[in-house]
Amino acid sequence: MNLPAAPLESLKILKAKSYFRGVLDEERFFLVLAVFIGVFSGLAVVCFRLAIEWTRVGLLGPAPHSHDWRLIAVPVMASLLLAVVIIHIFPAARDSGVSQTKSALYIFNGYIPFRTALGKFLTSSLAIGAGHSLGPEDPSLQIGASIASALGRRMQLSRDKLRLLAPVGAAAGLAAAFNAPISAMLFVIEEVVGRWSAGILGSVVLSALSSVVVMRWFLGSDALFRIPPIAPVRPVELIAYSVLGFAGGVAAVIFAKAIGYFRPRLRAWPAWTQYFLPAVAGLLIGLMGYYGAPQVMGAGYQYIDEAMHGQFTWQILAMLAGLKIIATTLSFISRTPGGMFAPTLFIGAMLGGAVGGMEHHFYPHLAGSVGTYALVGMGVLFAGFLRVPLTSVFMVLEVSGNYSIIVPVILANAIAYVVSRGLQPVPIFDLLAQQDGLALPSMEEQRDESVLRVEDAMQAPDGPILESDASVATALTIAEKSKLDIFLVRQHPTGWASINRELLQRLGVEGKGEMTLGSVLPVGRLPHLHPDYPLEMALRYVYQTPLVPVVSRADFRKLEGVISSEAVLNRYHIVSRDEGV
Amino acid sequence: MFSSSLHSATNRRLLILAGLLVVAIAAFLAVGRLVRRYGEQQKALARRMFAQGNSEQAAGEPEHALEDYRAALQYDRTNFTYQLSLARALRDSGRTAEARDYLLTLWENNPQDGAINLALGRLAVREGSVENAVHYYHNAVYGIWPEDADKHRFDAEFELVDFLLKEGAIPQAQAELISLEASHPTDLDTRLRIADLFARSHDSEHALASYQEVLRRDRNDINALNGAGQAALALGRYRIAQNYLRAAAELDPNDLAASSSLQLSTMILQSDPMASHISAGERRERINSALAQASARLASCAQARAGDLQSGNVNHASDGMQVLQSRLDLMKNDMKRSNAKSDEDTASSALDLVGEIERQTAQLCGAPVAMDAALLRISADRAASESESGK
Repeated sequence: MNLPAAPLESLKILKAKSYFRGVLDEERFFLVLAVFIGVFSGLAVVCFRLAIEWTRVGLLGPAPHSHDWRLIAVPVMASLLLAVVIIHIFPAARDSGVSQTKSALYIFNGYIPFRTALGKFLTSSLAIGAGHSLGPEDPSLQIGASIASALGRRMQLSRDKLRLLAPVGAAAGLAAAFNAPISAMLFVIEEVVGRWSAGILGSVVLSALSSVVVMRWFLGSDALFRIPPIAPVRPVELIAYSVLGFAGGVAAVIFAKAIGYFRPRLRAWPAWTQYFLPAVAGLLIGLMGYYGAPQVMGAGYQYIDEAMHGQFTWQILAMLAGLKIIATTLSFISRTPGGMFAPTLFIGAMLGGAVGGMEHHFYPHLAGSVGTYALVGMGVLFAGFLRVPLTSVFMVLEVSGNYSIIVPVILANAIAYVVSRGLQPVPIFDLLAQQDGLALPSMEEQRDESVLRVEDAMQAPDGPILESDASVATALTIAEKSKLDIFLVRQHPTGWASINRELLQRLGVEGKGEMTLGSVLPVGRLPHLHPDYPLEMALRYVYQTPLVPVVSRADFRKLEGVISSEAVLNRYHIVSRDEGV
Repeated sequence: MFSSSLHSATNRRLLILAGLLVVAIAAFLAVGRLVRRYGEQQKALARRMFAQGNSEQAAGEPEHALEDYRAALQYDRTNFTYQLSLARALRDSGRTAEARDYLLTLWENNPQDGAINLALGRLAVREGSVENAVHYYHNAVYGIWPEDADKHRFDAEFELVDFLLKEGAIPQAQAELISLEASHPTDLDTRLRIADLFARSHDSEHALASYQEVLRRDRNDINALNGAGQAALALGRYRIAQNYLRAAAELDPNDLAASSSLQLSTMILQSDPMASHISAGERRERINSALAQASARLASCAQARAGDLQSGNVNHASDGMQVLQSRLDLMKNDMKRSNAKSDEDTASSALDLVGEIERQTAQLCGAPVAMDAALLRISADRAASESESGK
């Protein structure tokens, strides 16, 4: 049948509308929105990088040399201005963007004021551009989260979705700042969200990728550092990388302890001192630059690049690592806006280069190129200081684009992580949140939480198992020999049911002794569990039925044990007692 | 009802997305302009810092230059010229270890690049590492040069030979030169440099051939004439040496080296008693002259050493001179008594004695000049020839 042209058009429009109606449910709309969040975050981070660079060149000059008076004057003057701006206009621009993003997710229903993004952008550009030892990643992360939150509020999304927008934006901001989408996604999952669910993962991936595409569109696809050629690692070199892992773990602890110790003490000082603390920090950092170490000022990416390309001796690298720990601690505890990612990478690269260079000097047969050590060192500090082991490994792999160093990276990072955990039980982000009076969930604790399983509470079946093809009379005979009141019945071909003594006796009295048990059982099967199920799952069933069978995954008719409400509660009681709750 | 609210929510979302798209496009355009400006500024800063570094390097301030090169690389970090300049500044400012590490990193990225290999070769020269120098110079010679490849390759080779000669690695230097010559450079200057280096490496045969090659194309090249004369003189080809040196001296009468070598070769030709084209009488006459010259040289040397003899410092030397004097007196008598039959043996003995006197007096009283130098040379040639025929 041929339809006239106009109705055909109308039909097409109707079809299209119906298609979009189906496509743009909240889930899908959220995913499309994630792409836009990525785009806007990417654009914001590009502008942020430009702002930092222009501020730096404008204030410190294109090539700051030691013994240049600006190295002292600029950080001091800029910090005085910053303090006034932060205290009176952008108070939320201070402190860690990671903690603030987590607060938005867990406390404020995804709400981050857009003013925070503006404040972070302006104050961090000035602070980093003026030479404070801080990095742009943490502010980028928060700028992304703020943009996402601001967009989400205008979209009338559900509260659940609104909450998730902050980490989605955070991933976009961090991915653009690092030019490393996988690391950014992992960081947000590992440190902010703490769980892998399809809903969050899809949107985080989309936002991170779109922000990186935008960033690369404008600033090119070069990594933050040029990676030197990496020779295959010989097994004997793993000894050297183990030493690096240990040194990195210790350095991370020193760094974290310094921040953890001084930060609350400085915050307790009288309010008027807050106007001068950034300037004092700026002065001390400026003096470091003035007297020969301008490398410690600012984010320091170019010096990481230089370290990886062998431009410093191991003694200088070691000195720079030490000075950067001091400089970053000063900047951070003075509550100057800016992040700790870049300084962490800087310290790690310098420390790695120093350890590699020293080993190369004393044991030339042992160590490879200094550049490789600097690269691994970055991951080591990331694992030890930020306590994100998975992100640290992928960050190095993603930045280097070389998988031949995966073994030394994993080894060194694992050692640094273990050393750091041993000496500093509370991770830095949790410590900062605690000092700020926020009860945010600790992702490390969550990862370490031992999950109680059904097998921890189940008991061996101590009564007889009845077969569904046996007669009621047989079942009654078996039951009379037992003291139990309830019996499990194995059904054919699969499944389980239960029957109590009273019902069996009644069936016998009713003359149904010759009938099979299966034919007289009440309709409906018993729920069953497997030994590896979380114990929480058992709670759903033990109140419906007094005895829940726990069966083998390989053979559902094979009974591994039984579980009751009493057994579950006993197990939780034991755990609480052991933990001293 | 539900359908209608769903419909309106969808429409609203579509509108929002369309709005976001418009804003994103506008933001893209605005950020694009900013980034273009930023890029231009970065390039300009890089050029400025590089130029500043170059002037400081030229002014002999590599320490300051390297800071500027680093800054230039900060703004244009993949610029190869900047990277190489930084490596050179590191080397020139004495940061050899840093320069080596940096260059090695560059080398690992571009192992065939001629300039990097040359810089590494120069660094090895500075460190006195012959093995590394040869390795990197060879890489530079066979490496990739984006422009003026031949010139760069020859320069690298010349630097390597120069280094080898300074290190006393003469056979290696000669081998390098032979392979260099085999590449048949067309440029006269290059030919001349090869010839000079052959001469410095004591390979007079190749040096002479190379100078002659130059002279075939420019017969009035004074350096080639001089070099060819010296090479021929070293080879004992005095007639050829005389010709070249005469031509050189005519072109530049103030060239003292050419004049003195010309004088030497002329004297040798005029006073060699064993020359094939002379008569027996003339040979006898030349031997007598040689003996007289040696006698005078011995006497003047003895006189010059009189002070030392008196102080008793050089007893062995005085004994040796007295022995030579006695042998000389005997030889003069022998010469007077000699007849035609015994003439050849006597002449040979006389020449041996002359040679010995010249050698000993050269050791005791310094290098001989003029006729004495000629006699010493004749004696040396004779010894070499006898040794060769003995083989």
